Amino acid sequence: MEDPQANGDHNHNHIPKKLKLSSPSSFISDSEIRQEFAHHQLGIARINNGSFGSCPASIIAAQKQWQLRFLQQPDDFFFNHLQNGILRSRTLITSLINADHVDEVSIVDNATTAAAIVLQHVGWAFAEGRFQKGDAVVMLHCAFQAVKKSIEAYVTRAGGSVIVVQLPFPVHSDQEIIAEFRKGLAMGKAHGRKVRLAIIDHITSMPCVVIPVRELVQICREEGVEQVFVDAAHAIGSVHVDVKEIGADFYVSNLHKWFFCPPSVAFLYCRKSPIALDLHHPVVSHEYGNGLAIESAWIGTRDYSSQLVVPDVLDFVNRFEGGIAGIRKRNHDAVVRMGELLARAWGTHLGSPPEMCPSMAMVGLPSSLRISSDDDALKLRTHLRDHFEVEVPIYYQALKDGEIGGDNWDGRVAGYARISHQVYNTVDDYLKLRDAINQLVKDGVTCNNLP
Amino acid sequence: MASDDHHIPNGSTTTPPDIQFEFAHHDPAIARINNGSFGSCPSSVISAQQDWQLKWLQQPDDFYFNTLKPSILKARLIIRDLINADHVEEISIVDNATTAAAIVLQHVTWSFLSSQFQPGDAAIILHYAYGAVKKSLQAYVARAGGQIIEVKLPFPVNSDEEIIQEFRKALELGRMNGRKIRLALIDHITSMPSVVIPVKELVKMCREEDVDQIFVDGAHSIGCVDIDVKDIGADYYTSNLHKWFFCPPAVAFLYCKKSDILNQLHHPVVSHEYGNGLAIESSWIGTRDYSAQLVVPEVMDFVNRFDGGIDGIKKRNHEKVVEMAIMLAKAWGTHLGVPPHMCSSMAMVGLPACLGIFSHSDGLKLRAYLRDCFKVEVPIYHREPEKGEDSPITGYARISHQVYNTVEDYYKFRDAVNKLVNDGVTCAFLSD
Repeated sequence: MEDPQANGDHNHNHIPKKLKLSSPSSFISDSEIRQEFAHHQLGIARINNGSFGSCPASIIAAQKQWQLRFLQQPDDFFFNHLQNGILRSRTLITSLINADHVDEVSIVDNATTAAAIVLQHVGWAFAEGRFQKGDAVVMLHCAFQAVKKSIEAYVTRAGGSVIVVQLPFPVHSDQEIIAEFRKGLAMGKAHGRKVRLAIIDHITSMPCVVIPVRELVQICREEGVEQVFVDAAHAIGSVHVDVKEIGADFYVSNLHKWFFCPPSVAFLYCRKSPIALDLHHPVVSHEYGNGLAIESAWIGTRDYSSQLVVPDVLDFVNRFEGGIAGIRKRNHDAVVRMGELLARAWGTHLGSPPEMCPSMAMVGLPSSLRISSDDDALKLRTHLRDHFEVEVPIYYQALKDGEIGGDNWDGRVAGYARISHQVYNTVDDYLKLRDAINQLVKDGVTCNNLP
Repeated sequence: MASDDHHIPNGSTTTPPDIQFEFAHHDPAIARINNGSFGSCPSSVISAQQDWQLKWLQQPDDFYFNTLKPSILKARLIIRDLINADHVEEISIVDNATTAAAIVLQHVTWSFLSSQFQPGDAAIILHYAYGAVKKSLQAYVARAGGQIIEVKLPFPVNSDEEIIQEFRKALELGRMNGRKIRLALIDHITSMPSVVIPVKELVKMCREEDVDQIFVDGAHSIGCVDIDVKDIGADYYTSNLHKWFFCPPAVAFLYCKKSDILNQLHHPVVSHEYGNGLAIESSWIGTRDYSAQLVVPEVMDFVNRFDGGIDGIKKRNHEKVVEMAIMLAKAWGTHLGVPPHMCSSMAMVGLPACLGIFSHSDGLKLRAYLRDCFKVEVPIYHREPEKGEDSPITGYARISHQVYNTVEDYYKFRDAVNKLVNDGVTCAFLSD
């Protein structure tokens, strides 16, 4: 690991580490990849990188170095090294996402924390009369549950109203999403309601779809939505991220999901504006009032080590051909291939076309499993873990209005597996899932009669 | 892995820890007499933490669904017993006292915003309250229309009575003009300068004076002084386990006495568990490393290897730090800022006036100089002299004693300061 003390300059303008791409002869080998992920539990087909991410052994080792440094002499660490280390990470992230200025990039624990920051700000706006009771916040119907709760806690509670936009699933094209969003937003704005904030996922969690955020942000601007917050929890390391191109006011992504960081670390990008100056971390400490990025860099004594390994992660991804872009492409191609293999084997389909899949894909499950509820989905997931050693989240697709369901299960795909592909996955992982489901179907198992 | 039962202290069969081994990761060149700021963690606990971290990395889904919650509950149960709380629902685990303050104060904000509190209603705090907590009061109470009353306490201080008097005066002032005092925020052990506050008496006074709620910031307390939350009688009590209770960074408990209000407290980072009670909310605030919260059983094993367990550790730390403080005061011709019975495992020792510590930044400069040139880590406090004081002592060192400290640490400090005095060094000459 690079010795942080070697870069002991206090010059806040120091040039970020140049990205060095490895030469062809020195790309990371398959056996090296296996070594990097040797701590993953053997025997499990781990096809759920999307939920909790993954971290290679060399990054864990780098993190331990930072943890040790704190334990050795915490005062020295606090006064002389921590802030530089965080600034270094922020600077690298600024380049990665094409932000204009490092001041726009704060590091927080996770997207959940970022949501609390943005929404608490909305709460204050209601409380202090900048927003009027009934002013609205827009969210997608499939927004992450934690974000929905945060909206309840900070917006509804403060007197705001919520517009919920339903997006189609299964989905066939960006156009469908764009059309539905435009419609939903217009409907929600009826009666002259002022829309203060739109929260849009870049990649929805369940069901997993890549959303055409740039177009949706554009629609928001056209429809007079004041601010747009893109929840891109899955994005970095999974799809291309260019915050200027996307054009949102706030953009958050977790680095511990697809960007090989240990739990947990996320960046919150806030486009330079007067509003950005009034954002605060909810855990208020000594740095209150010095800007969100500085506030977030000290929220009391804690282990900040996961925020400090970003340089090491760049070294790691650059051992792969094409760096992080190469990893993204290969993950995407592999997960689509595997998704299609599974859909063929089960006689089902993908929930979205390949171009709307990131490094994850939604694969329809055979109707004979009779997945009838969220509980069923969870039961099936647990059953797959406990009896087949397969880790994969299951999504329950509720019936649309007017759809005839009831006892007619003929060919109806009511459940999807969200499969992930990360560098450590192999074809065998997906064959294991394929065979597990085939076994369940063969045995006439339904979610009803699962133990 | 962690044992399932909690060891009952049994001095004759447990082996005392090998202190050198347990703290071998501490920089050996440093006289580390500042356990108060960032705490310390023995290797056996670090190793247990790494086991937990590995478990997560091995199979995070399984860990999340099957292991995390019961393990946090286990830690909460231990803490409940340690502090004599009635119900485990009263115990939430959060990162640190700073977070606990945000939780309690954010609730005050909502009370103002929903007109349960009126503009001008007051919160009363000690002048020596921790800086971060004061900022939190600005962010959540002042911003929402509340007034902040600071109780100036004397320092140096000589008795509990002095503190009680000042606090009583401030309460009376607070209630002038029919103002309501909604919250009293009282330190159990102030940070700088470090003084053990007679919290039980102050809480009692607050109740008599009809203060709505009392929040004791005991950031330093656990592992340092006795905590009996029922006896103290506050509505909220927080303490960091990573300061004096050998946990890795960072883990703290927030005790909230069972009441209707308990249901209204929320963790500011809102996640899936919103509405299920503060303790449950706090046990999942998004994907993070919760391992520091899970090693409490291992820490109990560690402290129970000492003679007298955590009580024995507290007692010996206290006696030692007082002994060292007296030794230093004698060597420098100064005094203790606080009498022994108001010291915890920390003591405030006056520094020779000739060092010329005339401001907070002087104190920082001196601290850095002691670190860089003498390899001594100790925080320095600056106090404003009273009018008419003759050759006042304006600088105090806050020395800590934890199980890894030796007499040599304090001799090193003694000699460093003597050298500075002999060489005629003053803070004015130290570079920024």
